[in-house]
Amino acid sequence: MTKTTAIEVHDLTVAYGQKPVLWDIDVEIPSGKLVAIVGPNGAGKSTLLKAILGLVPTTTGFIRALNQPIDLVRKRIGYVPQRESVDWDFPITAQEVVLMGRYGKLGWIKRPSASDREFAAACLAQVGIEAFADRQIRQLSGGQQQRVFLARALAQEPDLFLMDEPFSGVDAATERVIIDILRVLRSTGKTVVAVHHDLQTIPEYFDWVVMLNLRLVAAGNISDVYTPENLHATYGGRLTILDRITEAVRTGTVRSEQDISSKIT
Amino acid sequence: MVHLFARDTIYRLASVALLVLLSPCKLGLTESPPFTIITTTNIIADTARSIAGTIPGTAAETEGGTGIVITPLMREGVDPHTYKPSPGDLRALSQASLILFNGLHLEGKMADVFEKLSKRQPVVAVTDSIPQDRLRSTSTIAVAHDPHVWFDVSLWILASERIRDALSEYNPAHKAGYHSRFAALRERLIALDLWCASELRTIPQDSRLLVTSHDAFGYFGAAYDIEVLGVQGVSTDSEASLRDINNLVRTLSMRRIPAVFIETSVSPKMVEALVEGARAQGHAISIGGTLFSDSLGSPATPEGTYEGMVRQNVTTIKKALSRGK
Amino acid sequence: MDFLDHLTSFNTLLVMLGTSLLGVSCGVVGCFTVLRQRALVGDAIAHAALPGVCVSFLLFYDRHFGYLFAGAVVFGLLSVIMISSICSYSRIKEDAAIGIVLSSLFGLGIALSRIIHNTPDGNYAGLDNFIFGKAATITSADVWFIMVVSILAIFFVTIFFKELQLLCFDREFAWTQGYPVMALDIFLMGLVAMCTAAGLPAVGAVLVASLLIIPAASARLWTDNLRTMLFLAGAFGALSCLSGTVLSVAIPGPLASQGLPTGPLIIISSAVIFSLSLTLSPSHGLYAYLVRRSRRHAS
Repeated sequence: MTKTTAIEVHDLTVAYGQKPVLWDIDVEIPSGKLVAIVGPNGAGKSTLLKAILGLVPTTTGFIRALNQPIDLVRKRIGYVPQRESVDWDFPITAQEVVLMGRYGKLGWIKRPSASDREFAAACLAQVGIEAFADRQIRQLSGGQQQRVFLARALAQEPDLFLMDEPFSGVDAATERVIIDILRVLRSTGKTVVAVHHDLQTIPEYFDWVVMLNLRLVAAGNISDVYTPENLHATYGGRLTILDRITEAVRTGTVRSEQDISSKIT
Repeated sequence: MVHLFARDTIYRLASVALLVLLSPCKLGLTESPPFTIITTTNIIADTARSIAGTIPGTAAETEGGTGIVITPLMREGVDPHTYKPSPGDLRALSQASLILFNGLHLEGKMADVFEKLSKRQPVVAVTDSIPQDRLRSTSTIAVAHDPHVWFDVSLWILASERIRDALSEYNPAHKAGYHSRFAALRERLIALDLWCASELRTIPQDSRLLVTSHDAFGYFGAAYDIEVLGVQGVSTDSEASLRDINNLVRTLSMRRIPAVFIETSVSPKMVEALVEGARAQGHAISIGGTLFSDSLGSPATPEGTYEGMVRQNVTTIKKALSRGK
Repeated sequence: MDFLDHLTSFNTLLVMLGTSLLGVSCGVVGCFTVLRQRALVGDAIAHAALPGVCVSFLLFYDRHFGYLFAGAVVFGLLSVIMISSICSYSRIKEDAAIGIVLSSLFGLGIALSRIIHNTPDGNYAGLDNFIFGKAATITSADVWFIMVVSILAIFFVTIFFKELQLLCFDREFAWTQGYPVMALDIFLMGLVAMCTAAGLPAVGAVLVASLLIIPAASARLWTDNLRTMLFLAGAFGALSCLSGTVLSVAIPGPLASQGLPTGPLIIISSAVIFSLSLTLSPSHGLYAYLVRRSRRHAS
């Protein structure tokens, strides 16, 4: 594994009970790129992220991140989970959530210092919601909540970002803010791996893509790998239908999975 | 014809088999089975042993020639008010030749058991010969009597008499022995009664207040002219509230009672709380000792007999309450 | 004795002090279990305390509270392990697992306490009192014990505040930050077990879980700040216990001098506080909601 590989996955299989979710995944994700993970529902996209972090048990597989076993580099990985995974009724404000990103640097018992708080405030400003710092998180909109999570990851100052559907259900302004930040991160040599649903924006936002459907369909540069044939293999379906889909993708009339399923029926 | 013969044979074989299966006890017909008496408290057991002439001091002893085995259900330190019989107990009870219990609701949780058993077996409450006017009623709303009659030795003589009569009725073979042993017991108990009275008379008038965990000593107090207070009521089943404790502490302090007593079969927590409360009011009170209230001591000790237990209680009480103030 | 005498007697003050300290620690620790949505696990821990106390007595034959406390804590943690195992290794979900563990351990406790009750000198230990508690007979030794446990609990919650906050809010993120979430979980449950075991003499196994849940739930209705919530929960816990004690001394029972048992009155007080919180809280209460709604209709 070379210095320019951010994540290395070999022979990864994850199963919940008897049901496999990821099968025999082999991929090396280069560093310094914006990487998208695509695939249909249940393809194992979130699971791949969680497996990399060690959040789910694996049946087989060998994973390294940033040239090390996961356990040694957990704090250098910024995880932005799906919004549903958190209890929004918890009594906590936006800035307290972002401050949590600094906990990894503090270790046990130590309280966040003034400079930690300043840094957290700066991350909030970076994502554009400094005005909402004192709001309880239930009071924020979907886009604002997503930005809070992103700010928390930024506060960690990690080298690698894993994001689970960061663009889903957010307004256009939030989407712009997020992609701007991702580009800044790339320019400073960070790696971002994000699960993404919007097939049309992938060539615009990302450099690299991992196409999953239980197995790895393809992985590589967008220009090399993001082809109608690979999309066909990833999303399955009847050939004639898929011709329509791939044509739609090519011509830019497909924006999401809902559009695909409407073309199939 | 053949099938009728076969049917009859099968019936005969079946009935013999049933007889054999249902009467395992009757197979050992060479020796007569012992006459088993099961009592609830070991107090009753001890008195019954004195009358029946069995050797005291063992849990399930063999006869001293009378073929009687007497076993108490509740061993030392067990609380009869809240005792619930186990399946093993119920089995033993159903096979007993005679059951002796205290009555007057001492065995509070066993009433239905006795009710059911009395239909098939002799079940005798040893207090049922005591006349109503000698019974104390409790201070609770339900009309009930205080069951702790054994603390008035003269009442316990009446109960012993009842035991003698029960033995005579259900095991008449040794009737003469029961009568003579009862007479001897009665003499001893009368002497014990007199001894208790004289010992307790020496306690100064203003110390004559006996405070214990529950109201077990009502008859004792009445017989020997001592005022009695229990933290809980007549049954350990009742709750002592904070108000009760406060009231008792006030009483103890105002009357400057030197000692309170714990019981072997009841948690001492309440009395400990009393002592702390009284001390906080500046009154130096102590725990005067442990009394045997609803149970005798362990079989091998002097307190394992009724007479021994009474003497021990009286000694403890006299010593603690006579102490200088 | 009049009411004021009752109120200021040493025994009453002991009960007030002991139960209030318990109320504070249970309220504070309970916030985390309520936020973690594991409030009923606290109930399982409390019910598991009964067989723990019995087993400890059978092993050591010592009625002093230190031994019994240890047994209660060990069995409390055991119940948590049993619940997680059932959930991990079978299809049974957490609510059923809690029910299974709670009832079977409590049944075991009842059976053991009956056996102890029927053995010589078993009743002397007074283990039956731990089922519903006997706050009226709290001694100063009990109060010292509760005080130490409460101070320890509050101390741990204070120094591990950010870890517990993180664990309860976003467990996965806590893991990514390098915290051993399994160990933290067990630590939190250990705090719960400590508080429930300390509460056994006062309110008993059946009711102590409510002290963990109700004050914390009431506090949640008044604030969106975790630190404030902890403080309020502790205050509500103490207030419930104080009020329960005062009521048990104030209300005469069926006869002239007998009062009412303190433990249940504490729980009723906490429920009253909760109802008032539910109704009156300016941010989350029913009254405020109705006012806001009528304002909207007006405009």
